[in-house]
Amino acid sequence: MKLAFYDDFRLGVVQGNHIVDIPQVVENQSDLKPSELINYIIANFQRYENLIKTSAENGNPIPIANVKFRSPLPKPGKIVCMAINYLEGGPESKMPPINGFLKSSNSVAGDGDTVKLPPANASIFEHEAELGVVIGKTASNVGQSSAYDYVFGYMNVVDISARDLGNPPYDSYFPIKSWSNFAPMGPYLVTRDEISDPQDINVKLWVNNKLNQNFNTSSMAHKIAECIEWVSSITTLDPGDVIATGTNHLDLGPLQDSDIVEMETEGLGRIHFKIIDPLNREWPRETRAEKAAREGGGN
Amino acid sequence: MKFAFFDDSRIGIVIDSEIVDITEVNLGINTVTSQGFLNGIMENFDSLRPRLEDLTLSGTRVPLSSVNLGPPIPRPGKIVAMAVNYMENGALKEKPPIHAFLKSRNAIIGPGDTINLPKANASVFHHEAELGVVIGKEGTDIAVENAFDHVFGYVNFIDVSARGLSGGNFFWNKSWDTFAPIGPYIVTKDEIADPQNLPVKLTVNGIPRQELSTSDMAHNVAACIAWVSSITTLDPGDIIATGTNHQGLGAIQDSDSILMEITGLGSLEVNVRDDLKRQWPTEVDSTFADRMAGRS
Repeated sequence: MKLAFYDDFRLGVVQGNHIVDIPQVVENQSDLKPSELINYIIANFQRYENLIKTSAENGNPIPIANVKFRSPLPKPGKIVCMAINYLEGGPESKMPPINGFLKSSNSVAGDGDTVKLPPANASIFEHEAELGVVIGKTASNVGQSSAYDYVFGYMNVVDISARDLGNPPYDSYFPIKSWSNFAPMGPYLVTRDEISDPQDINVKLWVNNKLNQNFNTSSMAHKIAECIEWVSSITTLDPGDVIATGTNHLDLGPLQDSDIVEMETEGLGRIHFKIIDPLNREWPRETRAEKAAREGGGN
Repeated sequence: MKFAFFDDSRIGIVIDSEIVDITEVNLGINTVTSQGFLNGIMENFDSLRPRLEDLTLSGTRVPLSSVNLGPPIPRPGKIVAMAVNYMENGALKEKPPIHAFLKSRNAIIGPGDTINLPKANASVFHHEAELGVVIGKEGTDIAVENAFDHVFGYVNFIDVSARGLSGGNFFWNKSWDTFAPIGPYIVTKDEIADPQNLPVKLTVNGIPRQELSTSDMAHNVAACIAWVSSITTLDPGDIIATGTNHQGLGAIQDSDSILMEITGLGSLEVNVRDDLKRQWPTEVDSTFADRMAGRS
């Protein structure tokens, strides 16, 4: 099932190129905040799954071209991002130590939204395409073997990053990662049953139609089950929490005024958003790998 | 006015040594969680206040001693903790750059609860006594002069910290379950005449550790709100922990009893449990204090 919010945060189910309105599956649904509604549905999905399916079968499909998607998780309980979690030098790469950070739950943006770069003096703003794992039930000290019992589903997450802000040597993730709209997510949330192997799907990101990132989740250093085990050993995960599983940094590129960014993970649909920068800062339109090739003769 | 949670997610107003249960009162707030109910009260506090004041007179009062208080903000939207935000009574020569990190909202515990030290190989676990600012009104890019319009109230906040894990990564050092004791209640801002002139005290097993004043903050409450909200929108129920004076931190270890008090905000008492029974010196960590002050 593909769950979505659209237009003025109406709840819907996506079926092919259409979306069906799910107007009243939870009591007083329209009075709840969208974030509270979706987190409640996720936490109680066993109770609501069939009601939603029946409602979708009997509803009136609207072409998705006619609606504006909102983020399916407008305000997750928390967003835990894995740091340096891909084997970027190929299968022989040294395994990086597992690590993570929190990104503000207010940094979420949806499909079709605009990301405004802050005036802060970052050295560059970059896109990081990541597979987002959405938690389905309360998870504390979960072992790897049962980790997927706690997964509700998946969605595209772009972890936008403002480099070199903060107060080194102190960990500076907060001012680097937590700006408003720095976490575009969506366009919808895909339940776990639809993705047969989340460790073997392609993740792609384009800037102005140029394919920048193109990697497979098989090269993740610490797999999803291990990430869930590690994060839940530190902090309890709640239904609707998001783990962003990291990116391959080799092909990160700059984001700047008027860029159109698109990201698509196999089976999760395509999210797009626009960048605006009132300061019109400019960086060479090249990925880290392209820059390294230009400066270092290919090394 | 003082708000508290008690007896498994009931919400009440504290009057001296008694509490009035307002859980079942219809305040026109649509939510499926007790935190959502509190957020609704905070968002609509100006209009709800007369009704709530009536309830403190007409409602049934029960002694605080007969209830189990829980954390007064069971699930904050987020916790933003200021890093290095005290001049440390002159130990810091220059005002440090304003800086912060996010702490997991699932770290929250309440009065009488127990801090559970994880097995992770930290060099030490410290207490950090902090003034917690509770946000009551949504805001982005809040101006310093409007900052207090967005404050609902204040709460005692202990930022429990593991040192030495993963090279100082804040997530790993700060976000463990039980590492954010708060309470015993939220005190609305009208009861605190000057939040920048509050004595903060913390003792471990009755022995004084931290004694500081919020007048020593490097970036005051209004500056913190302005800066944080320039990065990320603040919502009702969010907490800004305003930092601590690191001169006076010490180890916490198995079976310790910690008491924190900010004048006007009540006393917060929590216990410590460490299944590994690790031991550290029981006095102030002077090596750490020297490092923070640049003396070593």
